[in-house]
This record gives sequence, structure tokens and C-alpha cells, in this order.
Amino acid sequence: MDEELVSTPGSDQVVDLSRSGPVTMQMTVLQQAAVERKQARRERWQLLRRRPGFLIGAGISLFWVVCAVLYDRITPFDPFDDLSTPLARPGGEHWFGTDQIGRDVLSRVMAGSRDVLVIAPISAVISVVTGTLLGLVMGYYRGLVDDVLSRIVEAFLALPVVLVGLLALVTFGSSEPENGFLRWTLKILTLGASEPVVVIVVAVLFTPIVARTVRAAVMAERDLDYVTSARLRGETNLFIMTREILPNIVGPIVVELTVRIGYAIFTVATLSFLGVGVQPPSPDWGLIISDHYSLMNGGIWWPTLFPALAIASLVIAVNLIADSIQAVNDR
Amino acid sequence: MLPYILRRLVLALVTLWLLATIVFLVANVLPNDVGRTILGPFAPQETVDALNAELGTDDPMLAQYGRQMKALVTFDYGDSYQSKRPVWGILSGPLWRSAKLAFYALVMTVPIAVAAGMFAARKRDRLSDRTIVLAGLASSSIPEFVTGSILAVVFGVAFGWFPVLASFPPGTSVVSQLRFLFLPALSMSVVYFGYIARMMRASTIRALEADYTRTAVMKGLSQSQVMRTHVLRNAMGPTISVISVQVGYLFGGIIGVEKVFNYNGLGQTVLIAAKAKDLPLLQASVVIIGIVYMLSTLLADIVIAWLNPRARLELGS
Repeated sequence: MDEELVSTPGSDQVVDLSRSGPVTMQMTVLQQAAVERKQARRERWQLLRRRPGFLIGAGISLFWVVCAVLYDRITPFDPFDDLSTPLARPGGEHWFGTDQIGRDVLSRVMAGSRDVLVIAPISAVISVVTGTLLGLVMGYYRGLVDDVLSRIVEAFLALPVVLVGLLALVTFGSSEPENGFLRWTLKILTLGASEPVVVIVVAVLFTPIVARTVRAAVMAERDLDYVTSARLRGETNLFIMTREILPNIVGPIVVELTVRIGYAIFTVATLSFLGVGVQPPSPDWGLIISDHYSLMNGGIWWPTLFPALAIASLVIAVNLIADSIQAVNDR
Repeated sequence: MLPYILRRLVLALVTLWLLATIVFLVANVLPNDVGRTILGPFAPQETVDALNAELGTDDPMLAQYGRQMKALVTFDYGDSYQSKRPVWGILSGPLWRSAKLAFYALVMTVPIAVAAGMFAARKRDRLSDRTIVLAGLASSSIPEFVTGSILAVVFGVAFGWFPVLASFPPGTSVVSQLRFLFLPALSMSVVYFGYIARMMRASTIRALEADYTRTAVMKGLSQSQVMRTHVLRNAMGPTISVISVQVGYLFGGIIGVEKVFNYNGLGQTVLIAAKAKDLPLLQASVVIIGIVYMLSTLLADIVIAWLNPRARLELGS
């Protein structure tokens, strides 16, 4: 190695590799890289904060998060109390009217954010973790592993996600879990028995989609010089995948996570509407619509419209955030 | 070109086999008693056993899988467990209705979405572009049944312009059918507008920045000529791919819209078959949805090759 200088963009410091020993050399470069990454993260965050789309999305999401956490203190009525007149029109005491068994629609819509805000992010995170692992392996090794896995992914993608989710949920049903620990966890999260099944099904459905995105990102990296040099240094495949390639594809993975949260809300709401997702008496938005959409023909629109608007606002908010993060990453 | 199409067909068949296998596994992964599901919780056990023997649902898993695979090849799915009528007879009505609705939605969506995408690309980063991009983002991220419900409340209940229920009585004239189907088709359009417009915008921007477009402008072609023969032709490729994927989804993925407007298409059939564990009906309808998806993506690739000589070259190799 003759006079090899590694300069890092954005700083005036130059690390002279020829003077330091091999171990210290690597440390300095790695530390330098860590500092660089931290700074880049801070810059991206500052860019993000200036985007109106991000602010609006974050504001709406925050509103629903507050509802989900504090619903039993801030709803005007008990969302499960059915003592009022059924199907009262909006106005007066009940701003959003009451549903067909006399529960306050506003309170139910506020409380309904809870299920979706627990289920969607958890299933998105699970699918991104498993999809990333799968995508790393597919993109890095290619060959037979990749061919076989790609075929299976393709078959999954030929069917609409909601359709496969429907099949899985009908099969697995949503019975009370036998496992004591699971039941206890559910109790702590104040969730019903159907929720974990929905989480797992959505996570499994999204895994191949995430895997495809990550695979494409890995393919773009794997022939770059830093991967070759790591290989020549004699690093193991596991090290190269997790410590060399992974940090460089964090950007697309974060975007994928936010996009997946949006789609998870989409999917969970649709499955509940179809009657195979979250089960009553949960005030889940899709479920409220499912219970009342057939009354629309008779002019009873409020128990359908308000949860529908709630779903729309949350999904748009999450997608605004995803879009902003992507725009900042692409700069 | 022909070898390419053949290769694609073989791959499509492999995918179809995997798909049928996935459905079979999902439907059978837990021990389930089809006879019990059909007859209900109060039927005597002997009757349930007899029905299971008759349907073959007490055979070993492998034998059942073998039958499913045979059905995939021969296209003979036998009789529905629930109604005892041949599966194809039950499916033809919903298939036709789904096709009608999907076609209606596509005709409503594609021209507007393509025009909006091109317009946004030419006004890049201006207010009209931002508006179209945001509208597309919002419209494609809201679940179809939510869009459907909101549209039904606004145009069906508040204004009363269109019927809230899409199931028209038999013998309804075509014009009147269009009125009945307007709201479901519009709900599907709203969702797919976003996908198509955003893809069209992105590929138009790429084509506008390409050297061949600059050359065409420099050699003095009129703007409409440049847009039509240089930009549109090149930008349509990715957009056609997106549209073709959506066609597959329009057939089966719109269960929500079908349910909101009480329209008995393929989606509703799948929903009912899944809930009743009517495996022959379920398998057959899922396979149809898969076939529609494969055919439309295959067709799209052929159209793209026809539009773009470069793609033709890549396919040939």
C-alpha cells in the first residue's frame, strides 16, 4: 500500500493510512464513519422538520396516538356503554351521533385508534425484520436460494394481500390463546384474542414484499468496492451482510418501514371490515363500518362516515410521513 | 419474441402451481372439519363423518393435495361443498360481473390518470404538480372500502345522485347498469388513480430528461409531436406494467368495494367460500384471480415490447 489517503466527504480531516498500523487504521476509519453517519442523521432530521407534509402527517398521527393512549380519560362517553338512544343523529349531546345499539360514535372512533395503532406498527416492524433478513440472503447469495425464494415471493404477490389475509384468518380463526404468557401479554396491552393472529398474518404477508425491496437494495451494493475489499480482507459472509451492507441500506429500509405501517393500517382495516380481523366489541374502525354500512341505504350515514374519515386521516398522515422521509433520503 | 413468450408462460405455470399450493396449505394447515363447518355444531357425529367421507375430506392430506393438483391441470374443480352445484357454474356469474366492474373502473381511471401524470411531470414542482402528487398519494393509500363508504355517503345518501346498492335487477338496460355501477367503479378508480398517475409522472420526467427528447426539441419538432412520439411512447412502458398488475387486483382485491355496494363479484364469492370452508369454490376462484393476474402482466410485457424496440431487443436475448 503506498500513499493511500482516505478522505471523508464533509470534513477536512484526512486519515493517512500508511502511517498507522492496520488495527488502529481500521478503528479510526470506523470511528470517522460513525461520526459521519451521526451528522448525516442530524442533517436529515433537520431537513425533515422543514417539510410541511411531514409536520401535518406527524400532527395527525400524534392526535391519534394521544387518543389511543388516553382514550378512557378523554372520550366524552364510555365507548362500550350502550345506554343512549340507538341511531341518534349527530348533534346536541352526541356530536357524531350514536350507533345501532346506542353507543357514542365519537367516543368509539377515538377509542378505535388503539387497536390499529398497536397492530399496524408491530406487524410492520416484524415484517421489516424478517423481510430484511430474507432480502439480505437473497440479494447476497443469489443463485439457487434466490431463485427459489423469488418464485415463492412472486406467487405471493400474484394474489392481493387482503385475499391471502382473508384465507389465513378464516383458517386460524381467533380463539383465546391457550398459552398463559400470551394471555397475560394480551391483558397488559388490553387487547382481544383476535389481535395477535391479525398481527402475525399481516407480518407474514408483508415479509416477501419487504424482502423484494431489500433484495434489490442489496444487489445494488454487493458489487461495490467496499464489499469486495471486505471479502478480500477475509471477513465472513455474515459480517459482510450485517456490518458492511446493512448500514448502507438503512435508508430504503426505514422508508419501507413507514410505507409498511401505512399498508398495515390499510390491511387491518379492510380485514376487520370483512369480518375476519379484529372482533367485537372492539371499537375498531373497520368493524364499526362493517356493522353499519348496510344502514346507509336508509339514510343513516354517521356511523359509517366518521370511522371512514378516521381511517382516511390516519393512512394519509402515515403516508405523508413516509413520503417526506423518502424525499429527504433521496436528496 | 416467441421463445420469450413461451418462457414467460412456463414461469407463469410454475407460479400458478405455487399459488394453488399456498392456498391448499393455508386452508389445511390446521386440522379442520369440513363436514362440521357445513352441517353446523348440532349435527350428529355420524352425519358429519358420512359427509366427510362423501366429500373426501377425511382422506390423507397428500391424497387431497393430489386431487387439487389434478383439478389445477384439468380445470375440473367438481362441485361446491355448500351448494352441490358445479364450481364453474357458480363462478361464471361473479366472474362476468367482476370483469364488467374492473373494465368500467379501468376505462374511467387510465385516461385521466395518464393525462394527470404527464401534466404533473411537465409542471414539475409547481403547485399543480404537488397537488396531483399529494392527491395521488392520498387516494391510493386509503382502503377501497373507506373510499367507497365516503363516496356512498356523499353521492348516494346526501345528494342521492346514484344508487347506494350496485346490485341491479336482471334485465336492467346497459345505460342504467352504468349508473348502478358508477359508485363502485369510482371508488376503485380513486384508489388506482394514485398508482397510475404517480408512475406516469415519474416515467414522463425520466423521458423528458432523456437525450432523445432534447434532440427532438433541438431539431425543431413541435411540442405536441415531441410529447406524443418521443415522451409518451417511452413513458408508457412502466405505466402499462402498473396497470396490468392492477387488473389482477381489480378482479379479486376489491372485496371491500363489492361488500360496501353489495355487488356479487369474484371477491364476494371468495369471501363467502372462505368463511364456509368451501374448498373447491375457493381454490377455483383464487386460481382464476391468479390466471387473470398472470395473463394481464404477460399481455402488458408484450405491449411494452411492441411499443419500445429496446425492450424487444432485451426480450429476444
